[in-house]
Amino acid sequence: MRRRNILKYIGLVLWLIFIVFPIYWTVVTSLKTREDVIIEAKYAPWVDFTPTLKNYWNVYKEQNTGKYLLNSAVASFSSTIVALLIGSMAAYGLSRFSYKFGFMRNKDIFFWIISQRMMPPIVSVLALFVMFHAVKILDTRLALIITYITFNLPIVVWLMRSFIDQVPTSIEEAAQIDGASYMQILFRIVLPTIVPGIIASFLLCMIFAWNEFLFALILTFDRAQTMPLLVAFQRSQEAIKWWNISALSVITIMPVLILFLLLQKYFLRMTMLGWGKE
Amino acid sequence: MRKEKPAGSLIDSTRVPRRLMLFPLVIIFLLITIFPFIFTIALTFTKVSLTGGLHISWNGVYYWSKLLHDGRFWNSVSRTYLIVVCSVFAEYVIGFGLALILWERIKLSSFFQVFYLIPMALTPIAIGYSWRMLFHETKGPLNDILGLLNIRPISWLTNAKTAIFPIIVVDVWQWTPFIFLIMFAALQSFPNSLIEAARIDGASKRTIFSRLIFPILWPSSMAAIFIRIVECFKIIDIIIVLTGGGPGISTETTTLLAYNIGLKSFDLAYGATIATAFFLIVVLTVVVLLGVVNRVTGSSERA
Repeated sequence: MRRRNILKYIGLVLWLIFIVFPIYWTVVTSLKTREDVIIEAKYAPWVDFTPTLKNYWNVYKEQNTGKYLLNSAVASFSSTIVALLIGSMAAYGLSRFSYKFGFMRNKDIFFWIISQRMMPPIVSVLALFVMFHAVKILDTRLALIITYITFNLPIVVWLMRSFIDQVPTSIEEAAQIDGASYMQILFRIVLPTIVPGIIASFLLCMIFAWNEFLFALILTFDRAQTMPLLVAFQRSQEAIKWWNISALSVITIMPVLILFLLLQKYFLRMTMLGWGKE
Repeated sequence: MRKEKPAGSLIDSTRVPRRLMLFPLVIIFLLITIFPFIFTIALTFTKVSLTGGLHISWNGVYYWSKLLHDGRFWNSVSRTYLIVVCSVFAEYVIGFGLALILWERIKLSSFFQVFYLIPMALTPIAIGYSWRMLFHETKGPLNDILGLLNIRPISWLTNAKTAIFPIIVVDVWQWTPFIFLIMFAALQSFPNSLIEAARIDGASKRTIFSRLIFPILWPSSMAAIFIRIVECFKIIDIIIVLTGGGPGISTETTTLLAYNIGLKSFDLAYGATIATAFFLIVVLTVVVLLGVVNRVTGSSERA
């Protein structure tokens, strides 16, 4: 019995090392100088090399990092807010009313929304490239915001519907008798009672939008480029400057890591909610 | 729950705003996924030139017949399948295993949980570079550590035979947490009384798992696996960073191929053909898998 437990802990710790090591390596490399990287692997600051923050200063000055950060922030934040608005309206509708569009009932509509994520983005993005080219919004934040709203909507509808389903309808009925419209009921009564659900959806959408690569790669090429593109295109330089890339990577990862740590206390609860449903 | 309203003028005045709740979502989907999807299919029968303004002309089934004989396309499909099958299999086994271990009220459980979920949230592009350093032939710690075991340096990323392995490792690193999360959540709602009862009847741990836990969690397993398969088919970012599809085309997935053809060689119509064919393959895979799963579970229920 004891031996079994020790084996379990060994497994857990090994996986922990596997998970943490790449993150550690990026952080450590971002503190190295060129000489510390190119000769051989060096493992720990103050042990086999002297750490420096010079790389951060360099990428900030040379790479115009501020522009990319701003693009990423604006695109993820605005798309998330709009997706939350549109998504909660739809989720509320699907939770409270019975729809019938042709053969489609609530269940079919819900499945149709969720199944949007099954389509590989490459299928729509080539056409979007041509479409956005035609209406001249290529390489704008607007192009990114519109596409990010679309790919986050299924998640918002899925999550928000499971949260809204838990809210008892009695207060809403009372409000309805008092003459409140559906939009008023949704925004004044229902949404304030499911703040944890809104926060969870918000953080999740932010993370997805912040990390998105393919749409940004195809739909932007200069002014509206986001952080992941800045990091990705370090590759095309003659000699790869690992120390700079690592500094940029740390800058890119930090915001999502913080968002995630805020999110993690909701994580399990919302997964169980979503899972109990189907 | 909500009772049907009696027929009359009330219904007509409320039906309009009810449908309005779905309206913005439907508009967005029509504009940004449905229309582009149809447009992509249409593009496959055309020739597109972007030089000097947009110019689209009819081209028949030329690209479709070209696709059937295109070795590079079929190579990319087999590469994608290899990555999907290996990654998702490993993710499921490891993720479910970790969930089972942490489920047994072990000390420090919540500490492990927090760390185990982190990779999902991190930007794949940034993490890709991190792994590229780890796998580096001379400056990477992996070969450095293997060297301690007297194993000669392996050129992981520049050898066509081994280059797909790091990609699978990174996918497993990033997405095992997802399966772990789903299975862990499913285990939380597992009826403990069932296990107590089985234990009293003298069932061994192994029997409890294979006869009780595994079958009851089968729907959750299937859902998690399906989501991962569908998402894994889309893989492109870590490949762009790790190998760029190389060496040669040994790690070029279909999404990457469609991007290379459509926007690097600027043959948009052929890129669209590849993307459409790829979508058909994904749908077909999912449909066949669902069919097999239904048949297997159906026959085991009858037995």
